Amino acid sequence: MPCILVRYGVKGSHQKCGAQRDAVLRGVGSVSSVSVPSNEYCDFISGFLMFSNIVKRDGRVVRYDADKIIEAVRKAMCAEGHGTQEDAERVSRRVEAELLKEYPDADPTVEQIQDVVEKALMHEGFEDVAKSYILYRASRTRTREMKTHLMRVFDELTLADAIDSDMKRDNANVDGDTAMGMMLKYGSEGAKDYNEKYLLTPQQAKAHREGDIHIHDFDFYALTTTCCQIDLIKLFNGGFSTGHGYLREPNDIRSYCALACIAVQSNQNDQHGGQSIVNFDYGLAPGVVKTYRKCVVSNLLKALELLAPGVRISKDDVKAAVDEISSRVGCGPQLAGSEAYDSAELEWLGTLTDSDTALRVHNFAVSHSREETDSATYQAMEALIHNLNTMHSRAGAQTPFSSVNYGMDTSPEGRMVVRNMLLATERGLGQGEIPIFPIQIFRVKSGVNYNEGDPNFDLFQLACRVSSKRLFPNFSFIDAPFNLQYYKPGHPETEIAYMGCRTRVMGNVHDRTREIAPGRGNLSFTSINLPRLAIEAKGDEDRFFDGLQYLMEMVAQQLDDRFEIQARKRVRNFPFLMGQGVWIDSESLGWNDEIREVIKHGTLSVGFIGLAETLKALYGRHHAESEEAQAKGLEIVGRMRKFLDDRSKEKGMNYTLLATPAEGLSGRFIKMDKERYGIIPGITDKEFYTNSFHVPVNFRISAFDKIRIEAPYHALTNAGHISYVELDGDTAHNPKAFEAIIRAMHDAGVGYGSVNHPVDRDPVCGYTGVIGDVCPRCGRREGEAIDPERFEELRRIYPNMPCLIK
Amino acid sequence: MNAKVETRKFGAENGTFGQGVRFERIRRITGYLVGTLDRFNDAKRAEEACRVKHGLGRNA
Repeated sequence: MPCILVRYGVKGSHQKCGAQRDAVLRGVGSVSSVSVPSNEYCDFISGFLMFSNIVKRDGRVVRYDADKIIEAVRKAMCAEGHGTQEDAERVSRRVEAELLKEYPDADPTVEQIQDVVEKALMHEGFEDVAKSYILYRASRTRTREMKTHLMRVFDELTLADAIDSDMKRDNANVDGDTAMGMMLKYGSEGAKDYNEKYLLTPQQAKAHREGDIHIHDFDFYALTTTCCQIDLIKLFNGGFSTGHGYLREPNDIRSYCALACIAVQSNQNDQHGGQSIVNFDYGLAPGVVKTYRKCVVSNLLKALELLAPGVRISKDDVKAAVDEISSRVGCGPQLAGSEAYDSAELEWLGTLTDSDTALRVHNFAVSHSREETDSATYQAMEALIHNLNTMHSRAGAQTPFSSVNYGMDTSPEGRMVVRNMLLATERGLGQGEIPIFPIQIFRVKSGVNYNEGDPNFDLFQLACRVSSKRLFPNFSFIDAPFNLQYYKPGHPETEIAYMGCRTRVMGNVHDRTREIAPGRGNLSFTSINLPRLAIEAKGDEDRFFDGLQYLMEMVAQQLDDRFEIQARKRVRNFPFLMGQGVWIDSESLGWNDEIREVIKHGTLSVGFIGLAETLKALYGRHHAESEEAQAKGLEIVGRMRKFLDDRSKEKGMNYTLLATPAEGLSGRFIKMDKERYGIIPGITDKEFYTNSFHVPVNFRISAFDKIRIEAPYHALTNAGHISYVELDGDTAHNPKAFEAIIRAMHDAGVGYGSVNHPVDRDPVCGYTGVIGDVCPRCGRREGEAIDPERFEELRRIYPNMPCLIK
Repeated sequence: MNAKVETRKFGAENGTFGQGVRFERIRRITGYLVGTLDRFNDAKRAEEACRVKHGLGRNA
C-alpha cells in the first residue's frame, strides 16, 4: 500500500514502545508518526462502499478516511508489541467489510466504527491488542468527558475543600463538605447543565449564563416550586401522613411541637425553598388546651386522694366526669377559667365530698395545672427549637429552613406558647448557643401588641428583649398599609406572614376572594442585573428603561415557561405538600391529578439587585446620597412593579416584585461585570452588589434615616423585602434603644425588619457577646488553648460553662 | 459546622483545653443566621466586613 509507516510492532522493540504505550493508555496526546494518507487508496475503497462519510461525536459529518483506522489499529498493536503493518491493514479491511454489512444505508458513527474495530481485532487473533484498544478508547472517552464543563465542575467539588471553593459555599446552610452535601451538589450541578441545554431557550440560556439575569434555584428548574406557608390547624385536624407513615392528631403541647417539626421536615423534601408556619400561636394553642385538660384530670385525682381519702375513684372515672361536664356545658377546663365549667365541676365534686373539700380540690387542680401546663409548654418550645436546629432534611445535607410567625393570638393559651417560645430562645441551646432556626417573626399590630395597654404589649416588649440578645425574633408590621389592606380582625389567615428569607405571598389576582397567607407560596423567581443595565446605558435614562423593559419581558416569559413545567406535575410528585392538603385547594385533587390550577394561587416573582449601584451609574449618587436619586430609585422600582401588576391583570396570575435575598447572587453579577467593564468607582469596585434596595452597607447613616429611605420600597416589593439596622453591641443591649428602632420601622411603613448586632461566642468558655481578638471571659485568643486550672476557676464563677472531657 | 451551632465537647490535649477551637461569629445575611463566617461565600464575607454600624442620632 502506498502508505509509509514507521513500524513499532516488531519483537524486541518493546522498550522503544514503552513511552508510546503509556501515552496511549493515559489517553494523552496523539502518537506522532509519519503517515501519508493516500487519496488513491481512499478513492479505491470508497468505490466499493455505500458510505463515504462518517459521523463524528459532535454530530459533524466528515469524509471517511481508511488510513485513520489503519493508524489506530497499528498504534494499538504497537502498544501491545504484537502485530505488523500488514496485520493492521488486514484488520482494517475486515472493519470496512463489517461496516458495509452492518450499516448499508447510513453513515456510521465514530463509536460504531470503534465497536467494529474491537470485534475485528478479536477475529483476527489479536485479543491482547483488542484489550489494549478497549482501554485506550475508555481513557480517550474519559479525557473527553473531563474536558466538558460539567466534569470540571465535579472535579472541583471532589477535590477542593469548602474553605477553598466558593461553589461549595454557595448556600451557607448546606454543608458542602459532607458526603450527602456533596451528593446534593453533584445532582445540583448535573441538573443545571441539563436544564440550561435542554429547557431554556437560547436567549434565556445566554442571559442567565452571561449574568443579565439570574434564574434562582436553577438546579430545581424542572422539579418543584419554592416555598409554602403552612397552616398547622388545618394540617393537624384529623392527623396527617408524612409520606413515610401516618400520625394521629396530637393530644398534648409536646406532641403538637414534635409534629410541627415533622411537618416542616416533610415539606422541606417536597420543595426547594423554606417553610413558614403562618399560625404558630393559634396553631399550637389547642395543644396547650389539651395539656391543661390532662393536667386538670390528674390533679383532681391527686387532690381527691389526699383531701378526700374516703372517695374511691379511678383516673378513668375522673376523665369521664370531666368529659361529661365539658360536653354538657359546652366547654372544657380553661386556663383563663370558665364560670360554666368551673361551677359544674364544683357541683360534681360536691356529690363526692363536702363543699369545703370540693372547693379545695378544685383550687388545687387549677393552680397546679396552670403551673404544669406552663412548664410543659416551655419544654415543648425548647424541644422544638432543638429539633429544628438538629434535624436533617434533603438527604442530610441541610437543616430544614423553618420560619414561624406569631404575636397576634391574645388567648391565654396562644400567649403561653409565645412567651415560652421567647423564653426558650433567650436561654439558647444546650450550652447557651444562639438557635439558628426557626427564624422567628413577631407580628406587630397596634391595638394588639404595639401600644401600652394592648393585650399582647408585654409579649412585644419581651420580643424586643430577646431579639436584642439572640437576633430573633424579626419583626413584621401588619399596620404597614400594603399589609393592612388584607387584614380582617378575627381572621388570622389575613395576617401577613413572611418566610424567614423575606418572601411574602398575600395578594391574589387569580382569586380575589382568597387573599390569605395559609397554603400559598412562591413558585419561582428570577432576578435582573440592574447595575449592568445602568452601566450599559452610559447615563442615557431612556436607554436604561428600554433595557429594563426588554429584560422584564424576557424574565416574565421565562417564569411562564417554568410555570408550564411545574403545572404539569401531579399530586403524587409532592406526597406531603399536595398529598396532605398543605397547599391551598390541593385536598380537592386526586393522586394523579395535575396541579396546574391550584398552583395559580402561588406567585411568579421578578427580583433585582444593586439599586444603589444602578443609581450611582445613572445619576452619580445613590438613594441615600440625594433626594433626587431617591426619587429616581422609586421610579425604577415603581416601573418594575407596574409592569408586573399589568401582567397580573392581563393573565390572571400573580406576578410580583421581589427585593431579592441574593444568597448566591451577591457576588456573581459583579464578578462578571468587573470582567466586562473593569473597576468603576462606586459600582464595581468591591466584591458584591448591594442587596436589593438597601442603602450600601458601608455608607454612614443614622438608623432612622436608613429606615426612612428604605421604607417606601417595601410598599413596592410585594413579593418580599427586609430592612436591617446594624447596631453596636452596647446599643443593641439597651432595651429602649432597641425598641425605638422597631417603633421607627413600624411608623415608617416598613413591612419586615430586623436589627443586626454582633453576636460572637467562645465555644470553650461559653462566653456570648462581642469578642474582638481576645475572649473577655477566659482571655484566650482564637485557636489558643486555655489552662485547665484557669478553666476550673472560671467554672466556679460561671456554673453554666460547657463541659470538658478529661 | 452546620447551620446549627456546634455543641461538641472539648477534650484535653497535653493538659490544655480549646487548642484550635475558633470563635463562633453569628451573622445574619439574607434573613437567615449563620453560625460561622466560614460558610459564607466570598461575596457575603466581603459584604459583612464592609458593614458599618448605624447610630441613633436623627442625622447621620
